[in-house]
Amino acid sequence: MLFNSLDFLIFFITVFIAYWVFNKNLNKQNILLLLSSYFFYAWWDWRFLSLIIISSFIDFKLGKKIFASKVVKQRKRWLLVSLIANLGMLSVFKYYNFFADSFVNLAYIFGWQPNDLTLKIILPIGISFYTFQTLSYTIDIYRNQFQPTNNMISFFTYIAFFPQLVAGPIERARDLLPQIEKNRIFNKQWFKEGIIQILVGLFRKIVIADTIGSYVDIIYSDIEIYNSTSIILATFLYAFQIYFDFSGYSDIAIGTAKLLGFKFNQNFNLPYFSKSLTEFWRRWHISLSSWLRDYLYISLGGNRKGIKITYRNLMITMLLGGLWHGSSWNFVIWGAIHGLVLSFEKYLKSNQKLKFLDELNFLGYPITFTIVLFAWIFFRSQDFNSAFLAIKTIFEFNFSFPFIANISTIVNSIIVLSIGILFDFYLLKKQVHLENFATKFSVLKIAIITSIIIFLINIFYSSSNNFIYFQF
Amino acid sequence: MDFNSLKYITKTLILIFIISILSDRIFFSVFNKISDKVLTGQTIGKLNHYIQNKETLDLIVFGSSRANHHVNPINILKNSFNMGMDGRKIAYSATLIKLLPRNKEQIILLHIDPEAAFSQDYLGNDIKGLSSKYNRNDIIKHEIDKLKQNNLLQNLYWSISYNQSVLGILKNYFMPNYDFTNYFGYDPIYVSENQKKIFSKILQRDKKISNCQDRFILNKIYNDYIDELIDFCNKSNKFLIFFTSPKFDDKCKNDNHELRKIFKKKNLNYYDYTNLFKENNNLDYWKDETHLSNKGAQLFTKKFAKMLKLNQ
Repeated sequence: MLFNSLDFLIFFITVFIAYWVFNKNLNKQNILLLLSSYFFYAWWDWRFLSLIIISSFIDFKLGKKIFASKVVKQRKRWLLVSLIANLGMLSVFKYYNFFADSFVNLAYIFGWQPNDLTLKIILPIGISFYTFQTLSYTIDIYRNQFQPTNNMISFFTYIAFFPQLVAGPIERARDLLPQIEKNRIFNKQWFKEGIIQILVGLFRKIVIADTIGSYVDIIYSDIEIYNSTSIILATFLYAFQIYFDFSGYSDIAIGTAKLLGFKFNQNFNLPYFSKSLTEFWRRWHISLSSWLRDYLYISLGGNRKGIKITYRNLMITMLLGGLWHGSSWNFVIWGAIHGLVLSFEKYLKSNQKLKFLDELNFLGYPITFTIVLFAWIFFRSQDFNSAFLAIKTIFEFNFSFPFIANISTIVNSIIVLSIGILFDFYLLKKQVHLENFATKFSVLKIAIITSIIIFLINIFYSSSNNFIYFQF
Repeated sequence: MDFNSLKYITKTLILIFIISILSDRIFFSVFNKISDKVLTGQTIGKLNHYIQNKETLDLIVFGSSRANHHVNPINILKNSFNMGMDGRKIAYSATLIKLLPRNKEQIILLHIDPEAAFSQDYLGNDIKGLSSKYNRNDIIKHEIDKLKQNNLLQNLYWSISYNQSVLGILKNYFMPNYDFTNYFGYDPIYVSENQKKIFSKILQRDKKISNCQDRFILNKIYNDYIDELIDFCNKSNKFLIFFTSPKFDDKCKNDNHELRKIFKKKNLNYYDYTNLFKENNNLDYWKDETHLSNKGAQLFTKKFAKMLKLNQ
């Protein structure tokens, strides 16, 4: 069920009413949330519900076992079981074909010709997200940062909670589980904030991302025939397509959760206004970057073991972060570019002789954006060859007029993109997060702003595509 | 939930509903007035132009971009108009034909692409191109509803009728694209150097394996509309002719053949020009593999006009 569908609107209104009717009984409310979350997921494919249930069950039991074990070795063993079970499922469904294919290609290089080892496997939607979510639970318990819950319904609800089930934000158990286990009270402020964030999210997704996406799709589906200008323009638009698509999804998720009395963490904070890649990763997909930092980078030793190990850790984290996005070498290269630049930034920061570069700080914005843009080429291209071809064409410097498929699409793209960027500028200037944008608004102001957004959506929305991050 | 919260939610939602509906209706009525005056541009001007002149025309061309860019109607008949539009198929065209007057003799040239006609994926969504008239024309509303291509919310928010077309309408209201009194609906393609390069690159590439259909069952929507048009034309003094315009290199021949058989069975006039330039092809005739340049289109129109005159 897509957030931008009529199905979801009907589903959510029904859940919202029933949910607040059961307001006085926490258990009933949580059962309703769990069942509606499973229904939400089953709308896409009911067969894969079993994976979520198995994953939830394993970690519910293992969380208790880890907590109950007094010996470190035993705790480690149970954590290992959790890691193997969760990452094992993820590997089979998401990475089996990638590794099988890579193995066959490698074998060809050495003159061996094995049979095709790939299988027809459907990628269960949201598996990358809920796997990370459930892992954070067992790892936090292992680290003595969190106590396991005894309430199975609460835990299962935490894993399957529909606003964040299929594309995040990846909520930690220590943030979300206590909210699930506590009585929720209807909060007027959150209601206002939620409504505005949902509509802004919808605007970002179905107006901005989908409108500019049509041009990107044309160019990237046939990269070899276009000139440098067209590819640069498409890559520039893609940078904003993916940002507005995914931040839009997160906005709807955060807003929806707020209407049900839950507070999620911020997932995007104006990432293109970053003057370094390090800052970019503090603003982009925050729930993933902080997950990778806390559970991978720090587990590897972080920056505590010297500068060389720090570089290694950064590279491993970003390579695996890239691979998390998709089972393709393009994502690995995308991660590698980010890892290299992050390491380079670390080097610059650690070298006292290069302190004078701080004065050139202002150059950080365009440099960071250019690096991010360059890396997006790998992220968006269908395969490595297409990415290579795109880069080759760009460096041919054929800056003749870009390909214009449909002039009205381009004009619409420019207008809606400008609205999106100007709104982000406004948030930056006012130093307010979208999450709190509507906090002090009166009911009348909410109604007027909501009506303006609805109106803009009505006249500008584009035929909807799937959210980009669903494929991850 | 306590009574106060319930009251708060109700109050907020009612206020949102009232203000959004009110602003929607104001926008809709103002924009209707503006858009009705727009007679240029593909967004709505061409449609308005057609609606305004449809009762006086002697010949009208319908179909997709391949009709729009390939047939210059005044080279066939003086009082004529090309109502072909990018991405439009039979649902859009048939609905516009149904708007024609009952008692005026008119020739209708309807472009048809065999692969589209046999595609079972076609759902008639090109009819959405008429949604700007959804709340203003009963025939159009009926056809859109019949194909289930209406946005349910459009019954609530009428401004959805102008989705994606506001800027185009405003542009053409303040700065008309051309003099509509000298416009006959034909939009010639003048191929730029960049487009020529792109087309050459496409042709140089390894030829993709053609995915030709092997099941030739006419799409239900196509079949129904063809039957409805036969009926409508018989009762309304219309002479209906189907045609397929040239392609650079058509790799699937069977669909053309099967379509010809179907039209024969339905006793319909059908001219298939898919391979018109096969023997004496020239890159200058083309923008891409399915669209003729102005040069190619003029040649095709000449040939088509001659054929029509021979058969009159």
